[in-house]
Amino acid sequence: MTAVQTRPEASERAPRAVKRRSRIRVTPGSALVYFAAFVLALLWLVPLLWALSTSFKPETEASLGQPIHWLPQEWSLEGYRTLFERGDHVTWMINSTVVSTIVTVLTLALCVLAAYGFSRLDFPGKKIVYGVVLAGIMVPSQALIIPLFDVVSALRMVDTYWGLALPQVVAPVMIFILKRFFDAIPRDYEEAARIDGAGHLRVLWSVILPLSGPILAAVGIFTFIGAWNNFLWPLLVANDPSIMTLPVGLGVVAGGYGLLYAQNMASAVLGALPLLIVFLIFQKQIVKGVAGVGLK
Amino acid sequence: MRNPPSPPGALSRRALLTGTAAAAGLGLAGCGSITGGIGGGTTVKQWNLLAGSDGAIMTTMHEQFMEETGVDLKATTFAWGTPFYTKLVMGASGGNAADVATIHLSRLQSLSPSTLLDAIEIDELVDAGLDPEDFTPDIWDRCFSDDRLYAVPLDTHALVNYYNRTICEQAGVLNPDGTLLETHGVEEYFDLLRAVKDVTGEYGTSLDTNAGWRQFWAWYRQQDGEWIFHEDGFELDDDKALNAIDTMWRMADEGLCPRISDGGATAANFENGAGGLVQVGNWEITRFRAFNEAQGLDFSMTEMPDFFGNRRTQGDCHAFVLPRHNSWNADVRKATVDYVAFMLQNSFQWGAGAGHTPAYLPVTDSPEYQDLEPNAEYSGVVDNVQFDPDVWFAGSAARLPDEVGRVFAGVYSGANDPETALAAIKDVAQTMVELPNPID
Amino acid sequence: MSTDTATPEAASTADRPPSPAPARAPKRRSWLGLWFVLPFVAVYAVFMIWPMLLGLYYSFTDKSLTGRPVEWIGLENWIEAFGDPAAMDSLWNTAWFTILSTPPLVVLGLAFALLAHRARRLGWFLRLSFFAPFVIPVSVVTMVWLWMYQPAGGLFNHYLGEWGLGGDHLWAFQQDAMGSVVVTTVWWTLGFNFLLYLAALQTIPAEVYEAADIDGANSLQKLWSITLPLLKRTTALVIVLQLIASLRIFDQYYLMAGGASNLATENVFIQYIYNSGFVGFRIGYASALSYILFACIIVIALIQFRLLSRRED
Repeated sequence: MTAVQTRPEASERAPRAVKRRSRIRVTPGSALVYFAAFVLALLWLVPLLWALSTSFKPETEASLGQPIHWLPQEWSLEGYRTLFERGDHVTWMINSTVVSTIVTVLTLALCVLAAYGFSRLDFPGKKIVYGVVLAGIMVPSQALIIPLFDVVSALRMVDTYWGLALPQVVAPVMIFILKRFFDAIPRDYEEAARIDGAGHLRVLWSVILPLSGPILAAVGIFTFIGAWNNFLWPLLVANDPSIMTLPVGLGVVAGGYGLLYAQNMASAVLGALPLLIVFLIFQKQIVKGVAGVGLK
Repeated sequence: MRNPPSPPGALSRRALLTGTAAAAGLGLAGCGSITGGIGGGTTVKQWNLLAGSDGAIMTTMHEQFMEETGVDLKATTFAWGTPFYTKLVMGASGGNAADVATIHLSRLQSLSPSTLLDAIEIDELVDAGLDPEDFTPDIWDRCFSDDRLYAVPLDTHALVNYYNRTICEQAGVLNPDGTLLETHGVEEYFDLLRAVKDVTGEYGTSLDTNAGWRQFWAWYRQQDGEWIFHEDGFELDDDKALNAIDTMWRMADEGLCPRISDGGATAANFENGAGGLVQVGNWEITRFRAFNEAQGLDFSMTEMPDFFGNRRTQGDCHAFVLPRHNSWNADVRKATVDYVAFMLQNSFQWGAGAGHTPAYLPVTDSPEYQDLEPNAEYSGVVDNVQFDPDVWFAGSAARLPDEVGRVFAGVYSGANDPETALAAIKDVAQTMVELPNPID
Repeated sequence: MSTDTATPEAASTADRPPSPAPARAPKRRSWLGLWFVLPFVAVYAVFMIWPMLLGLYYSFTDKSLTGRPVEWIGLENWIEAFGDPAAMDSLWNTAWFTILSTPPLVVLGLAFALLAHRARRLGWFLRLSFFAPFVIPVSVVTMVWLWMYQPAGGLFNHYLGEWGLGGDHLWAFQQDAMGSVVVTTVWWTLGFNFLLYLAALQTIPAEVYEAADIDGANSLQKLWSITLPLLKRTTALVIVLQLIASLRIFDQYYLMAGGASNLATENVFIQYIYNSGFVGFRIGYASALSYILFACIIVIALIQFRLLSRRED
């Protein structure tokens, strides 16, 4: 589960601070800071770089006991080729995409509807229902795996996309975030539309949603990342390798490729790539999302 | 899985930490189908735990099956033991998983056949060309639960005794025809080991010290020992158990076998001549053959030595089961049973290649198989094989052999003397007896 | 993500979109609102509320994964759980993981944020390098790290050997897998705390330092007497989030240290739940264990709520 919150004011303040700082001249102290930061950042990247480098080595060079070279002595795509020949990596990638997309679309749809209902409409029992939904924020999904598997099994959804996706759609925290955002949108905007006779769905679609772009993006991105990286639930509910998601397939099946390190690292690189790309594209929203709410 | 009872392809703890953790690769079809079953023709999903060298033989047989029948067989090999059985049970409980799976017959009852497996009709088998008469009754009877057939046996496999002919010849323990001298009793066999140890300079026999359960059960059963479990306790013959454990203790103490050796080291010690004999499962034959081709290893195999008056050995059967399905597609069901029949009818390769003794009598009775070497030399294991105790926590890869095996690893290493070990395994057994039975 | 936490921080009022205009539109009580809420509530009921109630019920039964008929056994599972040494061991392992991993995650998160705050022109690069690991799937993380941990010929032992630091084994990886898991976890999840601290640092107005500048305070004094006190609340938040995340440790541990284990004692708590239920078939017993975990996390979550609501005042 993930939570996000845009933070308009903080981001406005930041540039000002940056300007202030950038006028400071380079002193020995700040040179040291820059050097330390740079070295640490480089160090932090070592595991990824090492995996990348290994993945381009021929299997013989990658195997243990070989001298350690930071760059392949001989560049090779052997690891990647075998991976694609096996085919399962592609299957898992597709499964992950399908499941994460279902989760994201459904989460957005259901949570937007519910948040609007809680924010703009009054109905009997609303307080109680909202209270029950909010209480769900505290429930750790890991503590539910046992009975949840039983429920999903009774629904005959084990080893299906729906069984993988639906339990992940339950994200009460998203409702909380969206409702708070909707609450803060001035009613004046809707008034005109209401007077024109627009129903609530129409107001939601043509007034509220256009104003909610950033928050929807943030909720969407975080839901997608969360679903893509979820491990425990798919581990339980995807037993058949043809339905496994990428993290589970890599963890449960691919580990057994054994001592083929170039191939292992190739699958690691390919496994990391989709979300690294997502991260690079949406870096700003993600950083703001984490910073704003303090939660994932 | 610190000390699993050394299965084919078992991993040491270190191997785990080094990333060869869970299951082995996906099967053969390699056709990249996305959610199973897409694309023309029938798809049969098969799950197995044959991560060892026998897995390669199975893969070849699968390719032949697909070629002959046009059925798309998608096989998945999971890590041996608990990971496999966990996935099997969870998949079966969900009802959308594998169409057919290989299990150890000793685990059949622990899989709660009535709720987690689909029964097989005799008529289906007959239609596919099999006949109940084609199996020995004692194995066939084990495939039933509540009078319904839930498994079809593929083979019998057991601990056997491999010997390096070059070393054993130097040690003077071969018959003129090149077979290993037959010994009677612990002392005679130890003498043989001492002679071999003199040649190798290291061990007489290289055995898997993590697989103590298998050795214990073989030697305990050679003395007619029984281990019977009741609701609230069990009966174990202390003297006979102590005899078996003492054999381990003395063998390691005298350096006739290694103190610590996992599956990989055990095989390697035999290959590189550190041990002139090795007691492991018949499935290692593929590995030793490959080594023979690569670097030369003149070896043969015989039955478990006579320690206590006979040559009984610990073993099990691989068998096919049909995990529970929410619904069966008639074509898939038929293709699945055909697959089982195909594997049995072609199990000559399974015996010749993987060293297992086929359960299908038309194969083992054939002159071709009778002449097969070295299988003929240990063909007696089928009559001498001893299955694990009949209780829900016993059977291959189950908790009893796992945890008892850990105690025996301590006996080999010298940490547990026989009396301590006996007390420890009784503790382990008592703990398990007290567990609520989740099966029935 | 496995280190997830799902409690909203009630953001400060300043974080809200422009000019809240509370309930001005006429609101009529009608059933219409229910239709908006219903789709979510339906999914919520089936996949959250129902399993919670079912789990509670199962914890008083001998429910088995095999699907045989269920029998009510009263408190037996609960009594067994509190007296089960393996369960307590695994609970302790989870606690031990939390104790080992929380300090470096908090301290390093702060340190990196302070560095990045000062080294602004490297901002993009630092955020990429420190935070990117966080978006990588756990099995990729463990694959890469297991490869580096290789006892013979892995990156770590190679350099440890080369630099004469204990030859082939780092002490932390000798005894058990816990040290390795902790180090990997720090690398993987540090970026989250880093970003929290960085954001908090950026909200400190430059003016507060100006007085100190006039007094001639050096950087260290400013850090100690201005920055750190202002970060107190963030630190409390980071620690609580970290505790909740750490108590839920499963993924990395399962992948690195014992996925295949047969109810071995060397487990973390969720793994023990997993093993009891799915390996050992005992859904009833595993449900009771789940509720123990649930209780632990709820306690910390409540502390978090108190912290946050105080913050909102």
